[in-house]
Amino acid sequence: MINEASYWITLAHLPDWGNSKINNLIIKFHHNYQISIDEFFNLDEQVWRKEYELEEKQIIDLKKAKSEITNNSFIAESLLNQGFEIIPITLPEYSQTLKSNLKSKYSPPILYIKGNKSILNEESIAIVGSRDASKNALLFTDNIAKKASIESKTIVSGFAKGVDKKALDSAISYHCNSVIVLPQGIMTFTSGYKDYYKQVVDGELLILSTFFPKLPWKVELAMARNPIIYGLADEIYVAESSEKGGTWSGVIDGLKKNRRVFVRIPEANEKNANNILIEKGAIPVDINGIETQANLKLDDDNSNIQTSIF
Amino acid sequence: MMNRIEAEDRLLKTFKIPNFYDEQWITISKILNGEKVLLIEKTGFGKSLCFQFPATVFDGLTIVFSPLISLMRDQVKKLNSLGINAKCINSEQTIEENNQIINEAINGNLKILYIAPERQENSEWLESTLKMKIAMVVVDEAHCISVWGHDFRPSFKRIINLVKLLPKGLPILATTATATKRVENDIIEQIGDNIISIRGNLMRDNFKLFVIKVSSEDEKMMWLGRHINSFPGNGVIYTGTRVNTEVYANWFEYLGISSTSYNAGLDSESRVEIENGLMNNRWKCIISTNALGMGIDKPDIRFVIHTQIPQSLIHYYQEIGRAGRDGETSYVILFYNPKDKSLPQAFIEGARPSINKYEKVISTIKKELLGERELMKATNLKLNQVRVIKSDLIEQGIIREVLLGRSKKYEFIPKSKKLDNDAFEKLKESKLKDLQSMIDYVEAESPRMKFICDYLGDNSKQEYINCDNTSEKKINVKIKPEWEEKLKDFREDKFPILEVESKGSKIVNGIASSFYGVSDVGKLIYSSKYENGGDYPETLLNLFVKAYSKNYKYENFDVIIHIPPSISGNLVRHFASKVSKKLKIPISHDLIKIRETRQQKEFENNYLKAENISDAFEFKNPTRLKNKNILLIDDVFDSGVTIKEVGKYLSKLGVSKITPLVIAKTVGGDVL
Repeated sequence: MINEASYWITLAHLPDWGNSKINNLIIKFHHNYQISIDEFFNLDEQVWRKEYELEEKQIIDLKKAKSEITNNSFIAESLLNQGFEIIPITLPEYSQTLKSNLKSKYSPPILYIKGNKSILNEESIAIVGSRDASKNALLFTDNIAKKASIESKTIVSGFAKGVDKKALDSAISYHCNSVIVLPQGIMTFTSGYKDYYKQVVDGELLILSTFFPKLPWKVELAMARNPIIYGLADEIYVAESSEKGGTWSGVIDGLKKNRRVFVRIPEANEKNANNILIEKGAIPVDINGIETQANLKLDDDNSNIQTSIF
Repeated sequence: MMNRIEAEDRLLKTFKIPNFYDEQWITISKILNGEKVLLIEKTGFGKSLCFQFPATVFDGLTIVFSPLISLMRDQVKKLNSLGINAKCINSEQTIEENNQIINEAINGNLKILYIAPERQENSEWLESTLKMKIAMVVVDEAHCISVWGHDFRPSFKRIINLVKLLPKGLPILATTATATKRVENDIIEQIGDNIISIRGNLMRDNFKLFVIKVSSEDEKMMWLGRHINSFPGNGVIYTGTRVNTEVYANWFEYLGISSTSYNAGLDSESRVEIENGLMNNRWKCIISTNALGMGIDKPDIRFVIHTQIPQSLIHYYQEIGRAGRDGETSYVILFYNPKDKSLPQAFIEGARPSINKYEKVISTIKKELLGERELMKATNLKLNQVRVIKSDLIEQGIIREVLLGRSKKYEFIPKSKKLDNDAFEKLKESKLKDLQSMIDYVEAESPRMKFICDYLGDNSKQEYINCDNTSEKKINVKIKPEWEEKLKDFREDKFPILEVESKGSKIVNGIASSFYGVSDVGKLIYSSKYENGGDYPETLLNLFVKAYSKNYKYENFDVIIHIPPSISGNLVRHFASKVSKKLKIPISHDLIKIRETRQQKEFENNYLKAENISDAFEFKNPTRLKNKNILLIDDVFDSGVTIKEVGKYLSKLGVSKITPLVIAKTVGGDVL
């Protein structure tokens, strides 16, 4: 796989294709024809046209991409030399949770990671919430982390201020494995890395990005990263959400896809949109992340899970 | 694809060369066909043409990884004179210059771009590679990728990884002049992916090879002093150590023979100046460590003389390869004193720090992400030790280098294997075997060139008549008494220099009365210092006074100041007092330490040494020193950090000048 890295980088970031088209192509050469990515790129144009039924525009794109593999080799070498890894969607190490949550339509074709990649296939929860989180939201975050630690679940968060940062730090203090999903290319993650180096070395933290490795932080990337956080987790815990922004749209999207989203029940004086999310179908939980009685009655499955924990 | 006739037509037009050698054309046709080739050909064969020609044919840029700035510059100059747009980016040019060149590469204005493999560590470079149209990649001096070679460079390892990532069909050429079969196989295995190896013969029939057996260093010095001017043209003398480049250059200067010394410790400006001087035959010879030469394309180096055997026959072949590129007769002489073996042997044996130092680095890096300097501070290891350890640990996959923005850090690789000491042992054994090949060469009775070619895996059948084992007369050293006299006079006339001058300090370069390791000087100092041997003996005082009279007889010093001790009690104070009495220069004992310092020798690197004595000194009654000319005395000069610090401090007090004079100067490796 290592020698294919520059091919994967090239394919994964084909401009204007979107994950869906790229994944469909991967399915074709990997599953249907069972050839490797470099073999695919070295196929004759006619084969692309006839057997892969690619359109002329796509063939032009792929030809251009092919000429860029050399360029991406330089980045790939530096990336791999620094211990980053590339995990294509075709490998079992790729997060199966992400794949089943986002399907071929939205799953990123490759993941860039550093750290203990086996974490990717552990049972996981995401803790999300605002950058300017309230005391309660942070306490909730800490409680959820503690709970996850007891249940040996991995915590996925977004390495932003507020809830994200708290989720990470609590996970570390409870020796709970965690994944941080970067809002930037993985090679531009520098200052934060020094602080969390020890955890990466100890195998408790995995750093993950889906963007071109050299892309610096951008608001758009922070937005685009949210579905990955939600997708990597089996369950989503919302500490605090306003009525717009990344947390909000992520939860709304999750609810549409019938994901299990738990939202902290806010206190009466709190100004946030938690209650609205609960109205829209999120599962209300208390400050300890425990579902309220009212809900338990509605959902027998959940009550089973709760009893099995304690 | 073009055929040979078309290609040679183009060759004549572009390079003003009528045709290719067969091996050149075989290589070029494969390159034009998008294949990967390893080309092993002797110096002067025309390896460069094998990528330069295709580079001018391809639509796009050829990137050449080369370890040597001088070589890059040289080739760029030549290509430019042919009207081919080639440039190099390197650490000796300004960032602006390099950026300008990178822009040209991006805009498609360049045909060939030379870069050092270390450039892969540069973030801006990586980003710019995304925008270039790259047609071919060349790895020059490809033997640098093999630990079994004579010049392994970790940064080349990365180039191999890059080559593996490049897409099929992108032509790649790796070239070297010196690769044994083992190194060749190693390169092929590492690059893999159907690389084809093309190997030419290594015979250099314009060489006249001699081995001169001697029984002392003195014999070498005397023989060279007497004969060097009778050699035709200009050449290079390789000594085994930096200190010997100085000793021989001083000796030649004493004899009025035009020469200069060169080593990797010189600043880049001096190095470029000497390299240019070499090209212009400014000196009869340059006396150098093996730092000089690889890649210097001077066609008419008429002699290459080694006063010390290199570490292996492959080193030797590489170093003598610089002679006679123009094909004219060139003298290749090797001195051998059986004792000489101990230097490369010690080098091989001591090439690696002890295992506990490795473990210290590993455990430090496990805890924290550190840069080189931080690592030195955290482990109290010397720079070169840290570098050796780092590169071994990277090679063994225990740590890796990462970039945090612009700074390089080292991180531990989780779940990596334990440190493999056996690998070091194996490497050491292999190096000792290589050294034996050098001794075998000295003792060989067969044709010397054939001996070398066989060793390098070139088995082509040829006639060898160019050495003292075939048609040339053997050289024996016979010494006349007058030369012994000359050498003795020289020894009493030349002193080791203490290089301490720096901007903003009034301190000037001083001298030592001797090298620490010469005759009994070191032993006498050691005995007084550490074995309760009492004050420094008369011998040392006499030596010191002699050095003074030779060098500073006419200098008017106002006062002697000595370095205050850390452990050796009043040795230096007493010694300086005796000097003061003898020279009739007043002495002051007022330079004191205002805080506790530890012995400098406890610290392995200069950062910690500097930290240890920074702001540690004070002079009582400082105003008295205004405009005074000072003779600063100490016993042993090692790193010079203390003397420089004192110089800096005294300069602030308004002294007019400080001249350091010490009993002995150490040379890397002396045990204090």
